[in-house]
Amino acid sequence: MSATSARPSHAAQPSGSAFILKKALISAAVALVLFSLMIGIRTEAGPQGGLIYWTRFGDLAALVGTVFGGSIIIELLRQWWGPVDKEHIVPKPVQAAMSFAGRWLAPALLVFAFLVPVIFYNQRYILDLSILVLTYVMLGWGLNVVVGLAGLLDLGYVAFYAVGAYSYALLATNFGLSFWVCLPLAGILAAFWGVLLGFPVLRLRGDYLAIVTLAFGEIIRLVIINWQSLTGGPNGVSGIPRPTLFGIPLDNSDDGLAAKLGIDFSPTHRIVFLFYLILAMALLTNWVTIRLRRLPIGRAWEALREDEVACRALGINVTTTKLTAFATGAMFGGFAGAFFATRQGFISPESFTFQESALVLAIVVLGGMGSQLGVALAALTMIGGFELFRGFDQYRMLVFGIAMVLLMIWRPRGLIGHRAPTVFLERNQAISSDLVKEGHG
Amino acid sequence: MSATAATTPLLAVRGVRAAYGKIEALKGVDIEINRGEIVALIGANGAGKSTLMMTIFGRPRARAGTIEYDGRDITGVSTHEIARLRIAQSPEGRRIFPRMSVAENLQMGADATECSEAEREAGLERVFALFPRLKERIAQRGGTLSGGEQQMLAIGRALMSRPRLLMLDEPSLGLAPLIARQIFDAIRTLNRQDGLTVLIVEQNANHALKLAHRGYVMVNGLITLSGTGGELLQRPEIRAAYLEGGRHG
Repeated sequence: MSATSARPSHAAQPSGSAFILKKALISAAVALVLFSLMIGIRTEAGPQGGLIYWTRFGDLAALVGTVFGGSIIIELLRQWWGPVDKEHIVPKPVQAAMSFAGRWLAPALLVFAFLVPVIFYNQRYILDLSILVLTYVMLGWGLNVVVGLAGLLDLGYVAFYAVGAYSYALLATNFGLSFWVCLPLAGILAAFWGVLLGFPVLRLRGDYLAIVTLAFGEIIRLVIINWQSLTGGPNGVSGIPRPTLFGIPLDNSDDGLAAKLGIDFSPTHRIVFLFYLILAMALLTNWVTIRLRRLPIGRAWEALREDEVACRALGINVTTTKLTAFATGAMFGGFAGAFFATRQGFISPESFTFQESALVLAIVVLGGMGSQLGVALAALTMIGGFELFRGFDQYRMLVFGIAMVLLMIWRPRGLIGHRAPTVFLERNQAISSDLVKEGHG
Repeated sequence: MSATAATTPLLAVRGVRAAYGKIEALKGVDIEINRGEIVALIGANGAGKSTLMMTIFGRPRARAGTIEYDGRDITGVSTHEIARLRIAQSPEGRRIFPRMSVAENLQMGADATECSEAEREAGLERVFALFPRLKERIAQRGGTLSGGEQQMLAIGRALMSRPRLLMLDEPSLGLAPLIARQIFDAIRTLNRQDGLTVLIVEQNANHALKLAHRGYVMVNGLITLSGTGGELLQRPEIRAAYLEGGRHG
């Protein structure tokens, strides 16, 4: 590529090798000026107290060369990609492949999820990680009702997780109630707190709502820390009973499941049981959400996210719509909390910090507000990815930061920003799927 | 329907006052809308036209005066209950749901009042007969429609609740003259064919008064003039204030 063969440029954006070279030269010049003192000359106090200096022109040249080359590469990439806000036409075969993948991804993931304990039966670490991922999938799906569907930015979701966890822990340790009795109670209590939070924030939207929900999350945590007589304060609650399979404990005792089935006891049985338990709970969350989306209340949530004024103009009861969204989301958070308590056997306020809320919110936003599959994928990436980068402890936040920035540039609506409509007219269905793809973007 | 119900107006607003905080937007408004009538409410920006429409719909609430609908006092009734009495509103600026499909937008209108599957189907047929364009766009996202189509959708959405009183806030706002004419024609059709009672709030006084049976002129939160559409169009003060000055081309 020579400097004279500059191609005719786009309407507004200059291209061609002359432009690229010029830009690279300017970047290199700036780098030379900046780095000549920072890198090129090194000074230090000498043994006699005087200042000695030496030059590092080799390093300087390498850096300037890197900037020059990097600038060319970035510019070429940018021209190949085109302007960021431009619609990119995806080639037909790629489109077909993507739609095929889109159709089979969710069933494939589901089948894989069911097979995880079979495939990784002997790998305790992977089983534990899968349980963790599924817990966050469930939390993500729960928060998705509030944030993704109803559009109510909730930064204190961890409060409901905590309410669920402490409900089970306290009911089980104080009254000896079983997990299966406490699970619905935890959900109901969390939903009750959801409504309680909902009332004062009915009139708030956006930033203000976020601040109040954030404060709510912190209040719950502080109450747990300070109400020592009930919650044990910072020491937490320990000795929380493990879940039973309808009254049959999964332990080494004579009444245990292994003994009843006549097989050898293995601690993995309990882990597998927990895995399927959280899988079932997450799928229940997903199923309920999908069903609700097709009912008037679910449509009202989505309409509320789109335009609250229009909702009022249509005579939708905005108060009940918001409160049911908070209550439903909180209930799933409470279920997940009860599961967390029974899985850990020990809970303390440290598990319910703002960071948890932020993580779950990040999962929902990255997944694509309102998309069930997107949330599941985001939970897998965020929680699984965090583990994957555990080796690079120092860099993993950096990697995640960069990944998030890139994602927000290329897919500002999240991994799966596409929203499937819920109302169909039978005779128009053939047209509908075509047009829906056209609007994909 | 009894004989008295037929003679009383469908909607009677008497001495209604409403305010946003300390700013009084309506200072004692009286209007009446009879069954099967198109009534136009015209006035300059900030006269309180939209506020009156929204006050009839229950938000903001009237601070004084009464609103009677079909012989029943609806002053202070909440908006979702008013919607059940089959008053529908198409708010200013269209306000369709941009990420929801046209079909979903229409369904939202039907959701406000409990209606049977047959009624929903009939409602859709009625909307599609009025705006065939919407049928073509049924699976498209609301936000991808043109301004005129969005206005059609907003009116169609309001119609899905099978209203007896339809209130339209500036249906011609921001539309090309030809499209605005289509919208006004559709309103006239609705009124002639189904006998639908319509309250239309407009800045486009010429169009609105030609369409309406009667009109009210609002200035600073008060009704200053009223009469049939033709009468108002002839008034020199109306011509000066709303027609010659505000006419484009």
